[in-house]
Amino acid sequence: MTKHADIRASLWGDNALPLRPPSQVMNLERLGSLHQSRLSFMRTLVRRIFRERWKIELATFELNNDGFGTVVYEVNAPDGLFSFVLFSDLLLPEERNDRVIATKWDLTMALVEGRVNPEYIAKLKENVPKQEAGRVDSRVFVLSRANRSARNFDYVVNQLATGQQPDVSKIAEVGYLYRTTAVYGSGKLGMADWEKVQQKHRDFARPFASEMFVCFMLRNFSLLQVEHIARHRNEQTFTPMRADIKRYFGIGNSTGLGMAPYLVNHPVLINQWIEMRELALARIRSLGAITSQIKTTLLELLKRCAQHTHETITEDKQQTQHNIILAQEMNKLTEQVVTNFTSWNELIAFSEQHCSLQSQEIFVSVMLELYPELVDDLEDFHCADENLDLDPLMPLHQLKAVIERRYDWALAIDFDAEGARETYWYRSEEKMEPRLGSIADVEGKKKAMALAVGYAVRKCYNILVDYITANPSQITARFMVAHPKLRGIVRRIQGMDRCVYGDIQANLLDKNVLPMHLLRCKLAFFGVSKFDPRSRLWVRNTMFQGAPLLEDIGKPFSDDWFMPLIPKQ
Amino acid sequence: MNISMNEFKASLRRCFEASGYFVGNYEDAANMVLWLEKHGLNGLTELKHALPYICNDFDKPLSNVIYEDSTSAIIDAHHRSALNCIAAAVDLAHAKALEVGIATVTVHNCHNRMFVLKALTDRGRRGISAAAYWKNGSDTVTEHTAAICSGKRYPSYSQAVTNLITNGEDKQALTIICSSRVDLTSSLQSSDSLIITPKQIEKNKEKSVDFGIEIDESTWQKINKLGAGVLVENTERSRLDAGGR
Repeated sequence: MTKHADIRASLWGDNALPLRPPSQVMNLERLGSLHQSRLSFMRTLVRRIFRERWKIELATFELNNDGFGTVVYEVNAPDGLFSFVLFSDLLLPEERNDRVIATKWDLTMALVEGRVNPEYIAKLKENVPKQEAGRVDSRVFVLSRANRSARNFDYVVNQLATGQQPDVSKIAEVGYLYRTTAVYGSGKLGMADWEKVQQKHRDFARPFASEMFVCFMLRNFSLLQVEHIARHRNEQTFTPMRADIKRYFGIGNSTGLGMAPYLVNHPVLINQWIEMRELALARIRSLGAITSQIKTTLLELLKRCAQHTHETITEDKQQTQHNIILAQEMNKLTEQVVTNFTSWNELIAFSEQHCSLQSQEIFVSVMLELYPELVDDLEDFHCADENLDLDPLMPLHQLKAVIERRYDWALAIDFDAEGARETYWYRSEEKMEPRLGSIADVEGKKKAMALAVGYAVRKCYNILVDYITANPSQITARFMVAHPKLRGIVRRIQGMDRCVYGDIQANLLDKNVLPMHLLRCKLAFFGVSKFDPRSRLWVRNTMFQGAPLLEDIGKPFSDDWFMPLIPKQ
Repeated sequence: MNISMNEFKASLRRCFEASGYFVGNYEDAANMVLWLEKHGLNGLTELKHALPYICNDFDKPLSNVIYEDSTSAIIDAHHRSALNCIAAAVDLAHAKALEVGIATVTVHNCHNRMFVLKALTDRGRRGISAAAYWKNGSDTVTEHTAAICSGKRYPSYSQAVTNLITNGEDKQALTIICSSRVDLTSSLQSSDSLIITPKQIEKNKEKSVDFGIEIDESTWQKINKLGAGVLVENTERSRLDAGGR
């Protein structure tokens, strides 16, 4: 069993493995090129459910013939019993809205500790469909909602009701029946805090495990519901959906700016996630034996990535172009593997010289796929104690040196250049939704969120240099009394000296900043696929496409649903 | 009503940010209030005392060191709330303790000193033992002390009503002792003092983790109303800033 001491020894000291440098990894565009991997949270959750053979059964099924009503699943996991409660309601077309500001949804749901009785279900029914306008208690630890896919839902019901399977090429265009528009956890709206989930619900004691589980259950419910409605529409002609087509259905997701501040505000956690991914890669570079079986699987996966990307449909021109290039570059890598592949380091160097960032990063995900024995144990190290402590004894010349070493990227930015401080991030009074404004809005700018780490470091550095000139032998604690306004940034600088992958190395105030990269990075850690940018501020994607089904639990499990392909018709 | 600790902290952060607290300070302040309430030490009551004044600190001079040697320092907080100045004072005591073994920092003209407990407790986790002492009240003087041992997670706290007469000199003062060498414990000499042990504080925390925090609606609204100061007015234009259609 891998221990924290093993991880530390791999990261620091004489025997450390060669991880990629933060200047390469934390580049914003590269972060925006990440793809799902076997360390993504959806993959680790599914592995856990299938290896531990969770027992998930319907406890209440009160849907009318049109699929409206209440459903409760009971989830028996090794360390606890939980209830997944869904309310399916009629939503008029004019009420349908994917934005966080919506007030009604087709489906609302909650994940609850323990078994729920009718009184508790009634209490949930009063509040869960209201989402942000309702309140729940600390038995609930995830709350979510979803809307039906206008293109797919009725189509699939009609097909099944008339005895036909859905056309898989249509499912390739939109790979889901429902699209979730928010998944809340961590104490929002009166729910249990993460501290409780982490301490008391071991089955979900990993970042976003419970949120991902709700999406997994939603996906399974959506398949159950379409079959239920189709069966009641015409019992004589109804046919159930083929299992392989079912597996090709995921859950849609639209993600907007709300996710972006999280990456900046949780540097210790982000460092942990990226460090584990980089450690997995470093282990493979150093220890991954290249056998003929590995070569064969590598070629299969490269082909699969090209095909998956070819089957990804997006209206966004830039993403379409990226996808075309990526598919071509998978062929280029394939050629290299066939003709000249003797070491991982050489192949990585080849990808860095000849491929786009998107291809370089998908190649990293492919490498992780090949060596579960070097990768999977790292999934237990995705949590982090997020305390950022000030080191009060650090001499100021050392603090200055830390800035020069760790934040050279920030010191290199000319913040006086035109457009370098054109953007500001703020919270709207409308559901506190994060938004991106222009400094032309003078009043709004006064309420800017403190997300501009690079600029804050630059200002701190300037003040520090002057202060050291006057007080050369002082320590950080003394500097903090004199300059309390710098407390936050100094604490971060010192903390990030130990968490080298904690800071995104980009100027988030620049007029050309692409928040999409931030969203994409976090979504890749979640494990989504089929990125479909709808603007530079929000993106549609698909979760759990290709994942096994609830009815597959207990059957042989290969954990091979990376980059799923259209099933054969 | 019942709220989660995360909701409480997020609202407090907005509240302090809107009140002019600096980045770093508003997180500290929110954590100080939450820590007291979470551990059953009346964070909300203390906050209610502080709330009417928190915006006033914006115009006050920053704290400054008025005396310093290798083992001690005196800081004038200029009648600021401990919420926005005490963390730096505890840091200074911590740094001096690391340098010389044991150190004292006294803070003058500091309000809401109960909030020192969070900063004090953090020292235990970081291998430093710390203790604090302060007196409160004008007609009836109560004295307070808290301490934590190196490596521990929960402090002890005690308070007692005294028959002391207020002395203009020591009003609003707080003494902090930190040591990297000696484990400090503190208890009041008064025979009828209220003593809360680390064990009790831990139990209180477990209850908060399980069930969240009880808060009266008017206080909750007051915190949120102050916090709304960081939110930008919603307009059609602003909706486009989120990529909306």
